[in-house]
Amino acid sequence: MPSRYEFEEKFREQILRCSRCGFCQAVCPVFGATLRPALNARGKMLLLKEVMDGRIELNDELIESLFQCTTCANCYKNCPSGVNVPEIIRLARKDMVKGGSCHPAFKGMNEVLDKSPNIYAEDDPEDFDREKNQQAENVYFVGCVGLYREDEATSATLDLLDRLKVDYTLIDEVCCSGVLEDVGFSMKDHLVLKNIEGILATGARRVITGCPYCSRTFNKQPQYAALKDKGIEVVHIAQFLQGFDFGVTTDKRVTYHDPCDLGRHCGIYEEPRITIRKIAPDFVEMADNRENALCCGAGGGVRGAYAKNSIAMARRRLEQAEAIGADIILTECNSCVHNLTNAKLRKQKFKIYNTTQFINELMEKAESA
Amino acid sequence: MEMHGYNMPEDLHYEENHFWVKEEGDLLVMGMDDFAQTMAGEIVYVQLPEDGKEIKKGKKFAKIESGKWLGKVFAPVNGKIASVNEELETNPGLINDDCYGKGWMYKIQPDDKSEMGTLIHGKEAIEKWLVADIEKYAEG
Repeated sequence: MPSRYEFEEKFREQILRCSRCGFCQAVCPVFGATLRPALNARGKMLLLKEVMDGRIELNDELIESLFQCTTCANCYKNCPSGVNVPEIIRLARKDMVKGGSCHPAFKGMNEVLDKSPNIYAEDDPEDFDREKNQQAENVYFVGCVGLYREDEATSATLDLLDRLKVDYTLIDEVCCSGVLEDVGFSMKDHLVLKNIEGILATGARRVITGCPYCSRTFNKQPQYAALKDKGIEVVHIAQFLQGFDFGVTTDKRVTYHDPCDLGRHCGIYEEPRITIRKIAPDFVEMADNRENALCCGAGGGVRGAYAKNSIAMARRRLEQAEAIGADIILTECNSCVHNLTNAKLRKQKFKIYNTTQFINELMEKAESA
Repeated sequence: MEMHGYNMPEDLHYEENHFWVKEEGDLLVMGMDDFAQTMAGEIVYVQLPEDGKEIKKGKKFAKIESGKWLGKVFAPVNGKIASVNEELETNPGLINDDCYGKGWMYKIQPDDKSEMGTLIHGKEAIEKWLVADIEKYAEG
């Protein structure tokens, strides 16, 4: 008999394979912040097994567990049974939405993106004092968080690209809409089309994204296949910058926070470190790094839907930076910068930057010295 | 006092983006008013600048967030941040619970206290401004 649910059809065997060992609990950021077993990957798999067995319904009562996941994939990386929890959660959320159960924040996000070009429903995008939609070798695609929440970091990134004499243009970009696939809905064709048309119109051969999630969406979602078909390469700025020499260094102790969307989801661990080692001789890793890095707590829509817990997750990550005496935390994701900055306590004296913003600051200081 | 469903004490001065200001010795205390905290919903983050930060009347000096809403905090007068409510770091919901008391946000050392006179003050002025904003946000 066919299953009622897509998650069951595709992942029944994997869910049953979960041996309840609890390796996921040790690395789950949501569990780390809440200490609630029903919210870790094992708890979620148990709930879905109960659904498959017909003992509970996939209804509103499961929203708090199944929609409270940052999709950081640390559980999957550490699962000895190879259970792909983020994919299972993604499909279970879609099944829930089909059945009428959804966290109101995500329902709202889906509705917002029907009318607005960005997830925040903001109607006044920064132009960063730059001409848009020009002919250029590269398009720099900012992303919603960089446009509306971390505009200072974006401004510094663009200044850095100017300093490095990169031929780029901004476009009238709209949300890539990839996040909708993670929170129970589907990407918006009209937004995808607007981005593709905007990129193609510039004649660019490469798209450089400031947001790892946008990069992931452009490279992995079939809706954006037109970019690859036209021979356009999409890279995150961490990949683009690894070949540059900046001619500046810092004597500060620097550490690096791996964004989940760049690290575990795309396997990009070394490129940012190549760049950071050039500018920071005193580079020190946090206890959990690369594929084991703790999530900042912002992903999977959790920052919007469960903000308090999301900030609590970021505080756990900052404790690791404090433990190694870091002066500077660098990362490659505006969402991570945003959440970590929100979580930083006044007594914590380190600073948090996008790598690009920090390099730009060093170069600016060197020029004015 | 109750005004069109919101608690808007008449003795306070108000900055037009719905932050209240009152005198406390040589300093001014500032916080979010009841209309703003109600519209914003659960506050999850308040930016707390370093003591001594210079602020310019009408210019943004901090951010405040509730879920997906991001608000800007504008300086009501020229001056410096004298201190901030550090309890908001770990409990920003104090603004929702008690916006005129435990949820205060900043203390300001003003350059010239008479700039308070440019803020919204007095029952009539407060009511006119509040009604206009209630209508504005109802339309939005």
